[in-house]
Amino acid sequence: MDSVVITRVAERHWHALADDRVVGRGEASPRPDGRLFVSVDSWQGAVFDQLANAMLANLPTPLYTVVDEADRDLVDHWRRAGFATRRREWEYVVPTEVDPVPAPSGVTILGVGDAEETRLRAVDRAIRGEVDWLTMPAEVLSRPDGDTVLFPSRYAVAALGGRYVGMARVATLTRQPRIGVLAVLAEQRGHGIGRALLANVLRSLHGNGFAIASAEVHESNEAAVALFEGIGARRGASNLELVWG
Amino acid sequence: MVGKADGIQVEGTVTECLRNATFRVELENGHKVLAHISGKIRRNYIKIMPYDRVLVELSSYDLNRGRILFRYRT
Repeated sequence: MDSVVITRVAERHWHALADDRVVGRGEASPRPDGRLFVSVDSWQGAVFDQLANAMLANLPTPLYTVVDEADRDLVDHWRRAGFATRRREWEYVVPTEVDPVPAPSGVTILGVGDAEETRLRAVDRAIRGEVDWLTMPAEVLSRPDGDTVLFPSRYAVAALGGRYVGMARVATLTRQPRIGVLAVLAEQRGHGIGRALLANVLRSLHGNGFAIASAEVHESNEAAVALFEGIGARRGASNLELVWG
Repeated sequence: MVGKADGIQVEGTVTECLRNATFRVELENGHKVLAHISGKIRRNYIKIMPYDRVLVELSSYDLNRGRILFRYRT
């Protein structure tokens, strides 16, 4: 291959050019939480390194990227560029054929689509006020005006004394639905509300013909790991979030 | 300076999820390639599964290798 020239073609886009042909691309994009994520696509390891170095030299730090841990080549490329592991999320395959789990006394589980929007938004705000955003599972939907409930019909909730104390969001865009969020207010944790919510959601999916769902869980979230593995979920791939700077 | 695109873009169907974050994709002409996912798909946590219709960019260095650029909604 001829010598490669790295060109910044837009504020957050780079091309690697060889003989006037694009042989690699680098891109950066901000997440809703403001963090800047980068990626590089190239067919040659040396081109990857050149693109990564050009981007790192011209973008503000810190920079993040996400990789499938099984993709050893890609992980090695980013490590060579100086990136270090910041967090690991396990991908779980969750069977939907589960036994019903009764809700704790006084708690009512409202299935997917039955949540009242005002109270749903209230519990969403309350939970996110308690939880560091960066400890939440990866979420990449755009969120106008900071709103985090874009599709109320995709939530199941746990209600206690007229207010909501827990929520689960289900995305069914592909043939394999995904448990996007499962969260309970801090004051109500440890009573089985999360397990009842999860079982409700899974049984609903099963009734709609889905045999399995997926979920990502931070490796340090012992309660979530125990919850998913206790309901029969199997650990699959793992994603690494890498950081530089 | 913007160069010409290097790869050939073709549509195909994912037939198998392999180890090492690689997928086997059958192109519309019946040719099968091994494909990784693009950085954009990875950044956005888009899941690729068997039977997904995808847009693949083939490597001009090796037409048996590709990169999944886009997953069509099914």
